[in-house]
Amino acid sequence: MRTEITVKTRAKIFSRPEMQTASLIVTWMPDAGKVGVGVAEYLNKKLGGLVFAEIEPLEFFSLDGVSVEDDIAHFPETKFYCCPQKNLMIMKSDLPRFEWYDFLVTILDIAEEICKVKGIYVLGGMATASAHTVPRTLLTVANSSQTKRLVENYDVVSNMEYETPEGQRPTINSFLLWIAQQRGIPAINLWVQVPFYLVAIEDPQAWKKALDFLDRQLELGVDFSELNDRIARQNQRIAQGRSQHPDLDNCLSRLESNLGLSTSESERLIRQMEDLLR
Amino acid sequence: MGIVFYKEPELEAPLLIACWPGIGNIGIIAVDTLRKMLGAEELGEIEPWEFFYPRKVVIRDGVLKALEFPSSKFYFKRTYKGDLLFFIGEEQPGTGAKVYAEGTKAYKMANLVIDVAAKFGCKRIYTSGAAVAPIHHTTGSRVWVVPNSESLIKEMKGYPNTVLMSDIEGRGGQGNITGLNGLLLGVAKKRGIEAACLMGEIPIYLHGFPIPYPKGSKAVLRVLEMILGVEIDMTELDTFAKRTEKEIESIYHRLPAEIREHLDKLASMTYIKEAEPGPITEEDKRKILQEIDKLFKKEPGED
Repeated sequence: MRTEITVKTRAKIFSRPEMQTASLIVTWMPDAGKVGVGVAEYLNKKLGGLVFAEIEPLEFFSLDGVSVEDDIAHFPETKFYCCPQKNLMIMKSDLPRFEWYDFLVTILDIAEEICKVKGIYVLGGMATASAHTVPRTLLTVANSSQTKRLVENYDVVSNMEYETPEGQRPTINSFLLWIAQQRGIPAINLWVQVPFYLVAIEDPQAWKKALDFLDRQLELGVDFSELNDRIARQNQRIAQGRSQHPDLDNCLSRLESNLGLSTSESERLIRQMEDLLR
Repeated sequence: MGIVFYKEPELEAPLLIACWPGIGNIGIIAVDTLRKMLGAEELGEIEPWEFFYPRKVVIRDGVLKALEFPSSKFYFKRTYKGDLLFFIGEEQPGTGAKVYAEGTKAYKMANLVIDVAAKFGCKRIYTSGAAVAPIHHTTGSRVWVVPNSESLIKEMKGYPNTVLMSDIEGRGGQGNITGLNGLLLGVAKKRGIEAACLMGEIPIYLHGFPIPYPKGSKAVLRVLEMILGVEIDMTELDTFAKRTEKEIESIYHRLPAEIREHLDKLASMTYIKEAEPGPITEEDKRKILQEIDKLFKKEPGED
C-alpha cells in the first residue's frame, strides 16, 4: 500500500510490463568512463528496452535552470526501461541532488511493485592508474554473504575491504545497497576500473567488462559485435596518437610498466587524450 | 521516520537541553560537556536516514557491513535538583548545500524533538549556539539569551553575564538565530512549551573559521550551572580553550596590521550598552569582514 502511494506521487507510470522475478540494473549519469550510461544504452539497444516509467524531478533535482553538457542543454531525468523477454528492468538516472533516501526508496518501490524485482545490480566506474591496454577489473560488493555467493564463480574481485576515509562520503550506490539490504532484496554493486585518462571521455572496454558479467549472470544473450568495433576504434585512435606524440607514448608506456606519473604528467595525459578522442 | 527508544525511564517534569553544531561549535561543546559531566544515559535516537546522507560505509570481505549516519540522540539524567533530558544532533539536516537546517526537514526534526519533550512532560527547553559579537578573543564572552515567551525575560536577565537582544548596541531587540538551535524555540512556542536559546559570544573576526571557540561554551555552561543548580568542573574545557587560543593567535597575526589595530581596540573595551558609541564603527566592521574573507580564501600557509 505504502509503495503504491510513493509510486503514484513521485513517478509517472506509462505502462505495467508483465514480469516476474525480474532483475534491475541501476546506472547513473555522470559516471567514470560513462560506464553506467554506456551499459544502459547498449542493453536497451540490443535487447529492445522500452521506457515504462520515470521519476518526477521536482523533489530530487535542482531546477533553477539547466546544465549544458557537450553543447546541449541537459534536464535531469530518471527513466526506467523494461525488456520483458529477458525479465530485465534498467534504470538510467542523473544523480539526485536532494532527498536521497526518498529517491532511492522510490526506485525500489517501482522495481518491486511494477516489475517484481528480486535482484539488483548497481553499476559504477572507478578511476585507476592502470593503462587502457591492461584488462579491466570488476570489483563487487554484495549486501549479504548469500548474495556474494552468486558472483564468486565469475572473474571478479569479491573480497573488497573498505571504509570511507575521513572527509569523504559514501557513494549513492552504497546507500542504495543498504536500503535494499533493509528491505531484504539481494543487491550487488559492480565497480569497473577505468583508466584515469578515460574517466571524463568514455571507456567502452569497461562497459564490456560489466556487460560481459551481466550477460552471463542474467543469461541475456547480448550481441557484442558493435561494442567490439567501438573498442577497436578507440584503441586504434589511441595507437595513432601514440605514434604521433612521443610524450603521450612515453606516459602510456610507463603506466603499462606499472610506473607512476607525476601530477602534471597525469594532467597533460588527460588533456592529450581528450584532444585525441573527443 | 521515527524515534527509537532504548529505555523508558520515569521522569518528573524534566528540562530538555538540545543542541546541534553551529558557529564555533559553542553550543554543542557546552551541552555535550554538561551531558558527559553528569553521566547522562542514552535514551533513544531519531532514525537518521530520511534526514541525512550517510557519512561512512564499512565493507568487509566484499560484503556491506554497515552504513553510518550522523546521529541525533537523546539522553536522560535524574539529579537531586531535577530530571534532565539531553538531545545532541551531530549534524543539522539539510539539503547538502547548506550547513544549517531549513525547510521541511528542519521542521520535521524539530517536531520529533518536541514529541520526546512532550512524551516525558518536559516543562522547559534550552538550546544553545553562538552570538557573533564585536569582542576580542582575549576578553570573556557574554551569553545572549533569547526566550520564546515574555514570561521568561525577568528570570533570564537575572542570571549573571547574560544579555537580551535589546541590550546589544543597534539591535533594538531584533535578530535571527539560524538553524535548528533557533527553530526549536519557535516550534516549542507553537506547541506551548517554554524555551530559551543561550548563545555564547564569538569574536566577529572568527566566525567564518572552522575552529571551535570553547571560551563561548564556557560562558554558556556558567549560565547553565546557575539554571540547573549544578556545579561543573571546567578543567577540561579550560585546557581545550588554551589549545585553541594558540590557533586563534596564529590567525590573528595573519591579519593585516591595519585591521589588527582596529581589532586591538576591542581588547580594552567594556561591554557596549545601547546608545553608547562602540569602539569600532560599522565601516570598520565591513572592512574587517572583507579582510577575514580574503584571508579565509587564501591557501593554507599563504601570507
